[in-house]
Amino acid sequence: MTDGDFLRVSDVSKWYGDEQVLDEVSFGMDRGDVTVLIGPSGSGKSTMLRCVNRLAEAQEGSITLDGEEVLSPDTDVDELRREVGMVFQSFNLFAHLSAVGNVALGPRRVLDLSENEARERAANQLERVGLADQLDSYPAELSGGQQQRVGIARALAMEPKLMLFDEPTSALDPELIGEVLEVMRSLVDEGMTMLVVTHEMSFARAVADEVVFLDDGRVVERGPPEQLFERPENERTGRFLERIASHD
Amino acid sequence: MAGATRPRTVGERVADADASAGKALLVAAGALFWGWLVVSWVNRWLGGAIAPVGEPFVAPDAVESAFAAVPGLAAVAADAAFVVELSPVLAQGTWLTVVITGVSLVCGFFIAVPLAVARVYGRFSAWLSLGYTELLRGTPLLAQLFVLYYGLNLAASVPASLSGVFPRDVVWVAILGFTLNGAAYQAEYIRGAVESVDEGQITAGRAIGLSKIESIYYVVLPQALRYAIPSWTNEFVYLIKYSSLAGFITVPELYYRANQVATDTFRYTAVFLILGAMYLALVLTASKFMERVDARVAIPGLGANRER
Repeated sequence: MTDGDFLRVSDVSKWYGDEQVLDEVSFGMDRGDVTVLIGPSGSGKSTMLRCVNRLAEAQEGSITLDGEEVLSPDTDVDELRREVGMVFQSFNLFAHLSAVGNVALGPRRVLDLSENEARERAANQLERVGLADQLDSYPAELSGGQQQRVGIARALAMEPKLMLFDEPTSALDPELIGEVLEVMRSLVDEGMTMLVVTHEMSFARAVADEVVFLDDGRVVERGPPEQLFERPENERTGRFLERIASHD
Repeated sequence: MAGATRPRTVGERVADADASAGKALLVAAGALFWGWLVVSWVNRWLGGAIAPVGEPFVAPDAVESAFAAVPGLAAVAADAAFVVELSPVLAQGTWLTVVITGVSLVCGFFIAVPLAVARVYGRFSAWLSLGYTELLRGTPLLAQLFVLYYGLNLAASVPASLSGVFPRDVVWVAILGFTLNGAAYQAEYIRGAVESVDEGQITAGRAIGLSKIESIYYVVLPQALRYAIPSWTNEFVYLIKYSSLAGFITVPELYYRANQVATDTFRYTAVFLILGAMYLALVLTASKFMERVDARVAIPGLGANRER
């Protein structure tokens, strides 16, 4: 298959101290693509994701987003992060702000919208994730699934060209996972470009254009989900998928 | 379930009654104390519109005979009259104590917040902040006041715009001293609270494109300052009492005036008991006030166990 070049990750390597956590990782996505990163814990998936919006700094390689080099010292990281939304495993909602406050903060302070415009945009985004009735609830008053949907709305409110999901359902009780995946599916349907780290294989199978299997910081295998899940070429991929499947 | 109220146990009803009686007593005492203070101050500003400046609102003799008439209180009749006689001086001293504490606390706060942020998020500035805090916390406050007053003779260089606001310019020196010292203590309380804010909060702020300083301002501080309130109240309470050290550099605040009276009259026990009561009233007011503030700014859903 040909690599997309909307987001292109080329030979990215990263070390924490002397320990190499990413080893020449490469993949590419086109606009509107959904790429799912899978792999055992500690394989570098989350780190890879964080390198894309520079929450983690890669030492080597290149990442281009829409033709612009992300890893260049001239890159304005705040500008970059405006365009790249991120959803966290632990939600990281601003604890002191209501749902609307959480979503409106970026538009208000980063995009410089007026208070009213920001709140209106926030309300629209919360409606988009099915939380129109929880605008004034505070994070501590919401369930995990609702919190994560606020987290998604918060990222969407910046109108990003790329969304990063860092294990968005891993901290959720099983019965709350569905509502978050449903929101993510609707984003896929709307054509959002999404890079997702997840253990939800059924989600990956259903919506991914490409699945990238990382192990030990290296891309072991990548391909369309039907190929990777049904006929993994690498024996490590097969073993990992078996382990995951036995827990399902 | 909905709408049904659980009947209260006998124990709860007794506790409720006790609590409301205690609360009523405290509110009444507070109203009396602050009512008297405020009326005294207003009277002084108006040049004695209610009672001649320096004179008590009630004649000490009348109080003495009133007390003497009650069998159980006859023994303290003279002391009661003395306290009444003292009241204008106490009110005057309390004014300065309140102002010095309030101004120093607020000014100190605006130094303490940057100190705390620098300490947690700075590099070089973290060392500067640490040095400042350790120096100011590690040396006696009285020594600091002496250095400012006797050593640097700052009372002589109070700017013209500030000079004359207070009866003596040395009040400004005391405010400066308490501001600098209090900032160090406040910074420690706030630093603890800043450190307790989850790191993910700042990460999330950065992830939507806020700069580090914006993330601290919009995300970390609003949470940290809330968390800091209970421990920060300590500093408030301490400062009310520490402000008595200003008396040692001739600031005519509450302690200074009471001490003067005690030395003049040799009635140390009565004077210092009433002085203690004055400070106690101020401290209780401060802590009750901060309790209110804490409840007022509490984040919904958090700390539900503190709900009343």
